[in-house]
Parts: sequence; C-alpha cells; structure tokens
Amino acid sequence: MFLAEVVANTPLCGRHYLLRLALPQFPPTAAGQFVQLQCRYPQPQVSMREADWPADRPPRLNQPELADHEAFLRRPLSLADRHDAGDHVELEIIYRVSGTGTAWLAGVQPGDRLSVLGPLGNAFPIRADKPLAALVGGGVGIPPMIYLARALAAVGHAAIAFTGVRSAEFLPGTLISDMPPRSDGTPTFCLGEFARYAVPAAVATDDGSLGFSGLVVQPLERWLDRQRIDPSRLVVYSCGPEKMMQAVAELCRRRDIECLLSLERHMACGMGTCQSCVVKIRSDAEPGWSFKLCCTDGPVFNARDVLW
Amino acid sequence: MKLANPLMTASGTCGYASEYSDFVDLRQLGAFVTKSITPAPRTGNEYPRIIETRAGMLNAIGLANVGLEAFLKDKVPLLRELGLPIFVNVAGVKVEDYVQVAAALEDVDVVRGVELNISCPNVKAGGIQFGTDPAQVGAITGALRKVCRKNILIVKLSPNVTDITTTARAAVEAGADALSLINTFTAMAIDVERRRPVLANATGGLSGPAIRPIAVRMVHQVYTQVARAANVPIIGLGGIQYAQDALEFLLAGASAVAIGTALFVDPRCIVDIRDGIADYLRRHLIARVRDLVGNLQTDA
Repeated sequence: MFLAEVVANTPLCGRHYLLRLALPQFPPTAAGQFVQLQCRYPQPQVSMREADWPADRPPRLNQPELADHEAFLRRPLSLADRHDAGDHVELEIIYRVSGTGTAWLAGVQPGDRLSVLGPLGNAFPIRADKPLAALVGGGVGIPPMIYLARALAAVGHAAIAFTGVRSAEFLPGTLISDMPPRSDGTPTFCLGEFARYAVPAAVATDDGSLGFSGLVVQPLERWLDRQRIDPSRLVVYSCGPEKMMQAVAELCRRRDIECLLSLERHMACGMGTCQSCVVKIRSDAEPGWSFKLCCTDGPVFNARDVLW
Repeated sequence: MKLANPLMTASGTCGYASEYSDFVDLRQLGAFVTKSITPAPRTGNEYPRIIETRAGMLNAIGLANVGLEAFLKDKVPLLRELGLPIFVNVAGVKVEDYVQVAAALEDVDVVRGVELNISCPNVKAGGIQFGTDPAQVGAITGALRKVCRKNILIVKLSPNVTDITTTARAAVEAGADALSLINTFTAMAIDVERRRPVLANATGGLSGPAIRPIAVRMVHQVYTQVARAANVPIIGLGGIQYAQDALEFLLAGASAVAIGTALFVDPRCIVDIRDGIADYLRRHLIARVRDLVGNLQTDA
C-alpha cells in the first residue's frame, strides 16, 4: 500500500479524467495491471497514540462515521502509463466518472494524497514471436492500451490502435490537430497518446461524430484484411465493453489470431480473498469451466478460454 | 485458551491467509479464522457476487471453497507457517457435513478450534437455517460437541433473528466453548434502471461499518444475558475498522474481536487496531484486555 500525491487531475473529455499520481517509489508494473485506489482521503483519523495528540486538544476517540457520499471500498483502475523519474514514480490513470467513487475522485486536487494498493493482477503477455499487435480499446478500456503501446514500443514490436467510443465527446485521448481520424477507419497518427509511441490509431464512434461511423471491430476487420502477415505472427489485445470484446474475440477466432482480453469485474479486495470478481474460464475438468478471479488470475485472459 | 492479542480475522475475508502475504504480516494477529470449509469443493454463486452500499457492502459468494481434502493437503501447510492458533470455519448443508469436517480437523495439530457457520445467508440449504431456530442450534452444536475434543467449539451466530439471546443460550447449553457474533444481515440491493436485484443471488449479506452499532448491541445482550454467567467467551465482530470500534466490542462484552470487511480496504488495519488497543490500555492503566471485557460503566 502506498500514499501517492496527486500531480494533476485533468478532464480529458466528457466524464473522463486523467489522474497523475506521484509516489516516492512503486514496485515494477506492466501493461494490463491495475491498482485499487481509495476514493476518499486517508482517514481523518484521530490517532490512537497519545503521543500523536496535539497538546491543545483533548483526546477524541469518537470518529465521524463515513459521510454517505464516500466510497467504502477501493476502486480498481487500470494503469494508463508509468514514468520513472530519478526520485519518484509517476502513474497515469484515466478513469470515467461512473459512480460514487469516481465522482469523488473527479474532485481531487493537485497536492491531495491518495492511498494506492498495488500493483495488482497479471499483465498483457508480450509475445516474442508476434511482432505485430492490434490494440482494440472501447471507451474507458482505451487507457490500458496506451500503457501497452508503450510496452510494445519498448521491445520494438509494431502496434496499431483501434479505439471506439459512443461519441466524439467521450474520447479519452488527445487529437492531433492537423491529423483528424480518417472516416474510412484507416489508422493514422491522430491520437497523441498512441502517436507518442509511434502507434497509429483508428477512431470509431457510434454516432459518426468522429472518425469511422460504426463499431470499432469494423475498422479492425478491414485492417486485418489488408495484412499479408501470417496470422500466427499477429496478436490482438482488447479491453472495453463486453459486447465489443466478444465481437473482437469472435473475429480473431475465425481468423485463427491469438486474442487477449482484459476483463472488468466488480471487486472488493483485489487481492484474491473476497472471491467476488469471478470469471467463467474453460477448463478440462467437469463441468468444462471453473471460476477464476479477475483480480489475481486476470484481469487478462486468453479469449479462447473465456465463457461469456 | 489464551491468545497473544484479541485480534482475529473474520471468516471469508482473509481466504486461507496466503492471499494477503504480500500486503500484511498476519502474524500480528492473535488467531486466524479461515474461510468456510465444506466436505466437497464449492464453486459458489454466479457473478455479480458483491455490491457496495453506503458504509458497507453486500456479498453473496455462496461458500466458494476448495473443500476439505484440498484444504488439508494444500492450505494447512501454509497456515502452519503462520505460527498462529488456527480456527477453521466449517459449513455444510446437513449436520453430517459439519461433523465430517470437524472430525477430520481433530487430527490437525495447528488447528485449535472449529467455528460453526450456521449463519451464512447465501446458500440455498444449510447455513442460516440451522442458525435461526434455537432447537436446531442446540442440535447441531450438540452433534459437534461430541466430535470436537481437542479443538474448541465456537458457534457463529446469525443476527437474522428476533432475539439473539435465544440462539446464544441454545449453543451454550449444548456445549459451545465460545460464541462469535455476528454474521452478516440478509439484505438486498436493486438496480432500479434494470428493475432487477443487483446480485445474481438476489440477496446477500450486509457487512461493514453500517452494521457495527447493531453488532455491538447484540454482543452486549448476549454477554449480559447469557455468556457472562456461563463464563463463555464472545468473539465480537461486525464492521470493525478502527481501534475504537474494537474497544466498543470489548467493553460490550467480547473477549476477542474479528476484523472482516475492513481488510478488503486495508489489510494493514489489523496493526493499527492492535496498537490502538494496547495504547488505550496503557493510557487507562488497564493491565490486560481481560479487565476491559464487559467493563461498561452503567451508572449515571
């Protein structure tokens, strides 16, 4: 568990924020991993240690109960990037305001301190024998793809990003002004977060307000059609709404391309004890599947093993 | 039985201990209570299994566990390394299930006690149905009393009753060595947009700070009306998050306390709670936790 200082908490687009956290140190992380962020300030706690009490104030052991708008449990949020400076580590998290915890998070200010539990979960495996990767992100599933783009660039693998959002105003990324996303879905260096790792991106919107009009799986399929590379040299990574990931998984299955998915589940602990974030994963034993935990067995699973 | 300190884990919130090894040194505890063990492995309920509520959460895990055989083979060696007294929470759908698991645990040296889960609200059969009827509480406690010789017998009480002293009394009269209370409250959350229950199981058990005041009241009731006279210790639990929460339970009559849902948020809270209790004792010039138990000032 680590105490992080908020460096910035900036609105990116409708409902999405970029949170930058600075920590004196943080264990090694990999793309696909997540942290459990406490979406309330570390306890306004009166210390139980008498030595900690201010001289001018009497001991006060009755704590205020949690205010009703504060989240009790932590919130699992994937890492969107990481930077190691000489004397500190900076973690980037892009989140969407979707409930009590993230609504609170939207109000934190630079200088505020947050409790970070992590890093948690497995990571996207980087396949040495697959030098070309498609990164398919939908909505708030786009951020982990940014971290993955960085990881792939670091090992010299080529990657192409396919991003899908409901509407232009919900795109959690920075458009490069002289390079609008192509309406035919051809990937270009249009998104700053991916372009900085030399990864071209396609943007698809449900309402046609930006880039390709339709589902993100369509530009992905068109791009796959044009690839001359052997499917065994390709890998598709995806994170986003389940319907989108199902479509991506099905496309990959038909074309015999390895597909790795980062799944999302409600979770209490993130450490493998509460047993709440179960995913049905194919197994050889009866009845043909078993429950795996999204937090410690995942969040990344091979698409062929996931039973929807 | 004497513990190094009055802190334990609440069953189901700490797995089999190894899960938390990267996050906290559990040897800071006085005792460790495992997740429920049933004779055969159980996969548990469908997803979603939890939902946060204000100052708490609902869970309907459904007693997912590795089963007795895997527990003895794979988990006990890890638990032995903790060097703590281990209490195994035991569950089942019929009395024989409890008897089978408890009997097997008589041969495990590191296990010092068995906690009867007759209060799980999240399985279709067994569990809570044993725990809400005093006659059944007495019957199952009596059956286990015959099996538990080396191990102490702890009965975990359900709060889903009109008068918890009746089930407490039934357990004590049938030979329980200790009582733990409370388990979760049966509860429900509804997704109003979808007009469906949030949890796949429809209902779940409410835990967390939201239930603490009720738990404190129940511990106090059981202590004053049943346990004190019978000299049966109480393990108090329900929403403990800070040292003063634990102190409330001790003053209400608990001899030990268990930390549950708060571990999900911060496994290291056990250290703060333990140190906080120690500091409180020093400050009030109280020599032992025992002197605090039930030591509530009731005069005006």
